[in-house]
Amino acid sequence: MAKERREIEINSRADTLPLMGPDVRPWPVTPPPSPEECMKVYEKRKAGEFGKFLEDNLRLDYVFEKPEALQGLRVLCNGIWHISRMFATSLLAEQGAEAIHIEPPTGDPLRQLTPFGREEYMLKDNVTGEPCGLDFLHEFRNAYSITLNLETPEGREIYKKLAMLVDVIIESWPPGYMDSLGIGYRQLSKLNPKLVYCWVGERGQWGPMKDEVSKFGQWMLDPFSACANSWVHNTGFPPDQCPRGGKGGDPMRSGAWLPSYVCGEQAAASILAALYWRDFNGGGEGQFIEVTAAESLMDILDFDITWYGFNASIKARTGAWDPNLNQYEWNPCKDGYMMIGGQTDRLWYRIGMCIERDLPLFGRLIHEDPLLKEMAARNALQALIKTYTVTTKWLRDINRIEAEQKLMEYEIAAGPVLYIDEVAEFPHFKYRPWVNTKETQFYGTVMYSESCGAFQHRTPARVKDLGRPLGYDNGEVYKKYLGYGPMKLRELKAKGVI
Amino acid sequence: MCDIIWCKKDLGDGKVCDTVNYLDPYCFWNWEGKVACAHCGTVYYIHMIQGHMYAGPDEKPGEKPDIYPLYADQPNNGYFNYLPGIEGRTRPYTCLPRHIYLGKADMVKFSIRGRPVRGWRPQPPSAGIAGSQGFFWDIEKLSPEVWEEYQERIRKGEVKDW
Amino acid sequence: MDWEKEIQKLKVCDFEELPGPKSKEELEEMKMPFEDYCKRVFDPGNEFVKPEALKGIRWMSTTMYIFTPHSVANLAELGAECIKIEMPRMGDPMRHTSPFNEAYLYPLHDTRPMTGTGLGFTNANVNEYFITLDYHVPEAKPIFYNLVKMSDGLTECYRHGTFDRWKQGYRHVMEINPRFIYVWGGGFGYGPKIFGGSYDILGQAHAGLASITGCHEDMGGHATKATNWVIDWYSGTQITVAILAALYWRGKTGLGTMIEFSQVQAATRMMGYAAPLYGRFGIVRQRWGNWDTQLCVHGIIMTGKVDFPDAQNPQDRFESRYVMVSAFQDADFQELCNVIKKPDLYSRYKTHKERVGAPAQIEIYKAIEDWAADKTRSEVVRILREAGILAAPVMNDREVYECEHYRLRGTVRWNDDPLFGDILIHSGYSTGLMSKTPRRHRWQWRPVGADNVKIYHELLGYPMSKIQELYDKNII
Repeated sequence: MAKERREIEINSRADTLPLMGPDVRPWPVTPPPSPEECMKVYEKRKAGEFGKFLEDNLRLDYVFEKPEALQGLRVLCNGIWHISRMFATSLLAEQGAEAIHIEPPTGDPLRQLTPFGREEYMLKDNVTGEPCGLDFLHEFRNAYSITLNLETPEGREIYKKLAMLVDVIIESWPPGYMDSLGIGYRQLSKLNPKLVYCWVGERGQWGPMKDEVSKFGQWMLDPFSACANSWVHNTGFPPDQCPRGGKGGDPMRSGAWLPSYVCGEQAAASILAALYWRDFNGGGEGQFIEVTAAESLMDILDFDITWYGFNASIKARTGAWDPNLNQYEWNPCKDGYMMIGGQTDRLWYRIGMCIERDLPLFGRLIHEDPLLKEMAARNALQALIKTYTVTTKWLRDINRIEAEQKLMEYEIAAGPVLYIDEVAEFPHFKYRPWVNTKETQFYGTVMYSESCGAFQHRTPARVKDLGRPLGYDNGEVYKKYLGYGPMKLRELKAKGVI
Repeated sequence: MCDIIWCKKDLGDGKVCDTVNYLDPYCFWNWEGKVACAHCGTVYYIHMIQGHMYAGPDEKPGEKPDIYPLYADQPNNGYFNYLPGIEGRTRPYTCLPRHIYLGKADMVKFSIRGRPVRGWRPQPPSAGIAGSQGFFWDIEKLSPEVWEEYQERIRKGEVKDW
Repeated sequence: MDWEKEIQKLKVCDFEELPGPKSKEELEEMKMPFEDYCKRVFDPGNEFVKPEALKGIRWMSTTMYIFTPHSVANLAELGAECIKIEMPRMGDPMRHTSPFNEAYLYPLHDTRPMTGTGLGFTNANVNEYFITLDYHVPEAKPIFYNLVKMSDGLTECYRHGTFDRWKQGYRHVMEINPRFIYVWGGGFGYGPKIFGGSYDILGQAHAGLASITGCHEDMGGHATKATNWVIDWYSGTQITVAILAALYWRGKTGLGTMIEFSQVQAATRMMGYAAPLYGRFGIVRQRWGNWDTQLCVHGIIMTGKVDFPDAQNPQDRFESRYVMVSAFQDADFQELCNVIKKPDLYSRYKTHKERVGAPAQIEIYKAIEDWAADKTRSEVVRILREAGILAAPVMNDREVYECEHYRLRGTVRWNDDPLFGDILIHSGYSTGLMSKTPRRHRWQWRPVGADNVKIYHELLGYPMSKIQELYDKNII
């Protein structure tokens, strides 16, 4: 709630920018629920003692009082463009590894990206005043930033020395580029046999469809990966529900850089497995890992390719409905979209009873239909059409919150489709909090998505800082790792090495 | 009436159409035009805004429909129904995974490269104590007829590597 | 006299310490083309001759659906021994899901000859042993505790507090086995919505991902669901990351822990600039269809003609008409404008900042689609690639299956499943190539309770008659 009245005049988008921000309108706008209110929720299912145990042991407030799981491991992240490499590094850094991002002296071009080219949405750091794009800033977590020009022989020698001192290298240059410079896995593993080296990219660093660079030097980025594994083909509304041609009825990419995130997390998983084997399971040595967004996303395409092998089915897009489960969808309601899920008889009939209370016709048409009595048979296409049409007849009269409240009374997994402002103010989100704010070292107060591994008893993951001016840590890292003092760094800088 | 049209058209001889036409939400949420009953073909004008019937359904005798429902059924007639994609009755659901649509289990004995896969029922019982199973599908013993067919396919060169 | 030392003294230099290859093989390895080198070190198809990263780890999976099972499947692919525990006769509800009810593999269980396991169950529980146990009955308790004593950890997905009430939650198992890593995976975790159930789709909806996926409502689009259960799978892998970090720490300290993981949160985590943009400027990120909010040209366009007008499968016949085009750097964009014969577009949008603006994007993509209106997908891809621009077709499942790339890399391959026969797989190997401890796929799944004897008799030592008795009483 605003504490005082403000006189404002809005003539353009620019006028709106000073109206927000952590100083003018602190988040959360309304306070989160109190722990006491939550205790009541726990008590309702006689889980008061257990709920208290969770609160006492898992709350985000305590993460900095606990040790870090990967303390002592060093991770070098070398590349530009791909957010997958940054996410993989973040996952390790959030768990306590010491992470260093190496960028060319010109910086990662990701730093320059901003929605619709609007520079006013970039944040300037308090050291250099350089603007930084929010995607880069948000994914640059708990890490140092150094610059190094790998195209100079001296830069490569420095890189080799760093490689001997770290446990993990995550790299995302075009296929074979590092190898051609003499600093790929093939060469570095000779210098540091314990090195775990992971390449990440879109489609691969080898093979007939490996990552490409255009004739003019442009990289291949997300969502090329999702186009190459049928993800895009399978997502979106069918053209008889929405027309084709940019009106909603086309195959659809994810709004997020989803394939890159899937790639990054699998890279982190493989790296950790390799480290576990190296240090605790008798391996003793490092290895070469390659994770691509196209393939790691293909890993999680449900059964789709398997299905083709079964009876030559090619998965089609089915909009906001799931072809395998009933109910399992979102449909329009009075003020947006409402998601409802419940497939087993127990849950499916509970959804029905909830709707039937307001709309008796639902019982007549849905519950009484013998063709909908069996769980598997309800997945047939006609069963989806029928069930969802009548469900929406109920939804059109109520808004998302009403629908959620009604369905929660029946303990149904249901939730509204929320936009980020609603997400940030959703009681559970701000209680945990999952969308959180942090006073960063360089960029002021930044809202960010909290680490998912942060709710852990002994060694929770944590976010320490977000974003970093380019090369801010050259002094510290080069001194700590290689013993280079300021004079040496000046010299390297003058030669264009860092 | 709203996002279903329960057609009560008198068809003569004391018969009533009594068909429920389901107007699926994503297509019809905001929609204006003429939709035909899947059973009797009666054309209705409707104008839906935010899922509500702003106007109609009004019968438009003699006019051509713009669209058909995806599915229709007759709850009072043993749930007789029209599946999607019946010409002149229901709209095709354009995103099917194959040219045929079953809606029930497909009895598959061979994968697309012609090798046996256990996609059919019933399977002969093969479990030991407490439902336990080994790690070997003895197809020759359990389903000799499929094994025979497989040998035949090998002879004909229908079994491929990919 | 220490001869070893004396000989060392005589040496002028140590061959091993000299830089460069030490043998003919090593020399060859250093000289071979990079692609051949990759192929040789990853060696797809020969995974089984290499060690397993997680050999010796035993994990219990008291899970259902996709999210929590996937956290365990990742471990099983990496070599851990995983035991999936299901309800007797019924099994995981996910076994009863199949696209449009069409694709099942049999048997599910001998007592239900007409019921199969649907393909919805695919990939979420690979390589695991399948046993049954009904936790509700008191007799199940000692069985469960014995398994805990013999295992390294467990993943469960029951409503929060349920296992605790049944005295098999973290508070109880940590007493039995302090090395135990206990994972609860669900939608929300402690807090006001603790008892809210969750699914993949709820994560997509609730966490904001759906609000930024699909066409903008001004263009007629709706919030779009990713067809695949992506938040389930993706969150499951993040659990695996958390488990592996915990295992690493346990390796040093010997202590277990509890991980509480909420998939709804994980969906927000991938939304990039959405949260910081809102937090600082109050701008709510919206949908932007198949284009990119930060790069232009970088989007998916529709061509006028399909590649396979005569194909029988409707997906080939109607949908083979989408192309991913990327030309956001100046030179690429200039060339693209030349190819589509709109050089004026380039002169008006010379800088990336100019062309990434929303009205410019609308104009530019329209121009590209107009140009593509009389072309097929493959023509568009060919013309653009010949001009040196990045372009690729939007592939469907058949094309992925037939794609030489994945076949060569071993990421799509056939498996001779021990119980179900010839199954095409696209998981596991595709999560990433590892040169020394690659993942492997042994079997897709096994019937309900298929390993009851293996686990209860061979691991826990119950006599066969006892197993029969537990089975007859529906406890296993």
